[in-house]
Amino acid sequence: MDKIRDFIEEQFLIEFDDSFPEDSDLFKEGVMDSFGYVQLIRFLEQEFDIRFTEQEMTGDVLVSLVQIRETVARKVAARATG
Amino acid sequence: MCGIAGLFRFDGSCEDPSEQVTGMLAAIAHRGPDGAGYVVDDGFAMGTVRLAILDPAAGLQPISDESGRYWLCYNGEVYNYRELRETLVGLGHVFRTACDTEVVLRAWIAWGPDCLTRFNGGFAFALYDRQRQELFMARDRYGKRPLFLARHGETILFASEMKAFLAVSDFRFEQDPQQLASILGQWTPLPHQSGFRGIESLPMGEWARVREGRIERFVYDELSFAPTEAVASEGAAVRRIRAQLTDAVSLRLRSDVEVGVYLSGGVDSAIVAALARELTPHPLSTFSVEFEDAEFDESAEQRLVAEHLGTRHHARRISHADIAEACPDAVYHAEVPAFRSAFIPMFLLSQRTREAGIKVILSGEGADEAFLGYDLFKETLLRAAWSELPEDMRRSRLERLYPHLAHYGPKDIAAVTGLYHQFSAEKMPGLFSHELRFQNGQFSARLLNAPGDPFAEISALVAGSPAFGSMSAVEKAQWLEYKTLLPGYLLSTQGDRMSLAHGVENRCPFLDPSVIGLASSVNLRFDDGFTEKRLLRDAFRDRLPGAVADKRKFPYRAPDAAAFAARRPDYLDLVLSESELANLPFLNAKFAQRLATKVLTKPAEEVSTKENQTFLFLLSIALLDRFFVQRQGLGQAVGSSALPPLQRAVDLRMEAAPHASQGNLASLT
Repeated sequence: MDKIRDFIEEQFLIEFDDSFPEDSDLFKEGVMDSFGYVQLIRFLEQEFDIRFTEQEMTGDVLVSLVQIRETVARKVAARATG
Repeated sequence: MCGIAGLFRFDGSCEDPSEQVTGMLAAIAHRGPDGAGYVVDDGFAMGTVRLAILDPAAGLQPISDESGRYWLCYNGEVYNYRELRETLVGLGHVFRTACDTEVVLRAWIAWGPDCLTRFNGGFAFALYDRQRQELFMARDRYGKRPLFLARHGETILFASEMKAFLAVSDFRFEQDPQQLASILGQWTPLPHQSGFRGIESLPMGEWARVREGRIERFVYDELSFAPTEAVASEGAAVRRIRAQLTDAVSLRLRSDVEVGVYLSGGVDSAIVAALARELTPHPLSTFSVEFEDAEFDESAEQRLVAEHLGTRHHARRISHADIAEACPDAVYHAEVPAFRSAFIPMFLLSQRTREAGIKVILSGEGADEAFLGYDLFKETLLRAAWSELPEDMRRSRLERLYPHLAHYGPKDIAAVTGLYHQFSAEKMPGLFSHELRFQNGQFSARLLNAPGDPFAEISALVAGSPAFGSMSAVEKAQWLEYKTLLPGYLLSTQGDRMSLAHGVENRCPFLDPSVIGLASSVNLRFDDGFTEKRLLRDAFRDRLPGAVADKRKFPYRAPDAAAFAARRPDYLDLVLSESELANLPFLNAKFAQRLATKVLTKPAEEVSTKENQTFLFLLSIALLDRFFVQRQGLGQAVGSSALPPLQRAVDLRMEAAPHASQGNLASLT
């Protein structure tokens, strides 16, 4: 799962640490913009072989690294069991 | 067009200020290469470098009234000067020249600051009342012409461009991180900001009074989008637009020298060119920037318009190398951090224009702000209505909004819908329309170690504006455009500063107050705003090639980081080397270096808009530091620049208090 962290750090030129914890809202912190959001979704779908539903993309579930991880983990698990 | 500069001392010093003022004028000689003039009094001096356009022989500056009480240094044009002159003659004023400068002087004498609301034009001036030892300064409504003020010990300095202050020996420039945070956040300086500590820009629509060492500011024009006329039908709207723009272009063709037109390839400049062609007796010259990089090039449409109108067309073709090479000079002229590179080709275009012997040009600037041409306005309409729109409507409007961005294609539309959902409710009071854009700004603000809240200043600006609160979401978006991107970049960094760098004056018919009033009277009345500038297009459809009349808004841009990555000019060290970055202690050097390395090594398609933007900010901040703070690398730019031929030098110090004569008129004409 650290691939996600690496991707975000590389893509958005940030480093998660005490001053920028993993539960930071990437939109509010100015890290994510439209271009970056689309790239992130593409990356996650490709990397983990998952598809986000419209609801997931339009909802408020993909705003922090913590939330993104949880969502991806849930979808990967669902795929494995489904 | 001209440049003005001066100083007002309050320490009782008797030191001769003439050397200082001529030094300041020499630093802005590019604005007025045709001649220089100045006036000196006890503790006071101001002067003008002049680009002679109206009454070239008689319009020497500074000018005064018969009594020698009032002295004026003036930069710009008041296009309705003939009408004002007639009114003033009716009031008993006697004119000595046919120049608009004298109209401004006598209008001030007749009406005081109330004259400003009568002026239709782009101007900035300084008017000295010798009798009362007061200095007045004013700027036009939309921020067309610049004026900067700085307090320097017991002296107040003022100039059309800050580089004039480089000539003041002990004046020190210092970049102000707090202003930089705000500039990075909202992409451009706010009306009062300069980027440097202790230097203020006089905001548009304001005048200032300086007396006894104090500066007081007054607003004479509040930006409003209230309808100015009743327009009954769509047909009437189209007819009025046609008539009003014809008047606006006609007024701006008043010149004793030939006027050309900048053609961007878009509909706005094509309309201006079509009208200019009809209204001028001589063949029309047009000028365009072409790009080797096809992604940015609009030469097909430019040539189509030029052929259609039968103009003498001149193009300046721009390569990556041109951008990399001209960047330092263009940044020096711009004086403030820039968020994109598109101003650099305009620097080269004005050079080309001047070489062709043209010193006045018209452009389409201001049309998008007045007639809601930007996607930003559609985006605001969509986001404001988001919660009430059904899902399919949201999608179809989004698809209409951004067809030119690959990542907004059908494949990604769901992701973008998600993003818009995030931005469908206001988070920053008053700034709803710009919240998406400010995301990029927030990223750029990371260049600073301590950016604080980059939006505190702009939030205070909107909160302090009496009319803003009651505007609609789209009007607020317009208001913000008129206070940020238009004056802070388009009219300045990409407009006035680039054209005047080579002594070319740019005029904007779409910035005529009557045009803006009319646009406010018809916008969104006869359509939903999703076909941008529809009425404007309809008004001139029959005079333009179809491909241009219906061309979608294509934002004028130039290659950003890619141009520098391709050429790797030496000065990139400023943003790549640790030791160079250490000269800018307010920068987050680690982030800056990471960013610069990324954008200069990754393929262009992997570099996002905000990264390009942040890189241009970084590079321009570093170059500004070198030129203005370190005073290095100025080369030919300043120091060695010479004063244009001195045509008038007036020394009032030996004169008795104002009256009778024009002072010791040591006119060198």
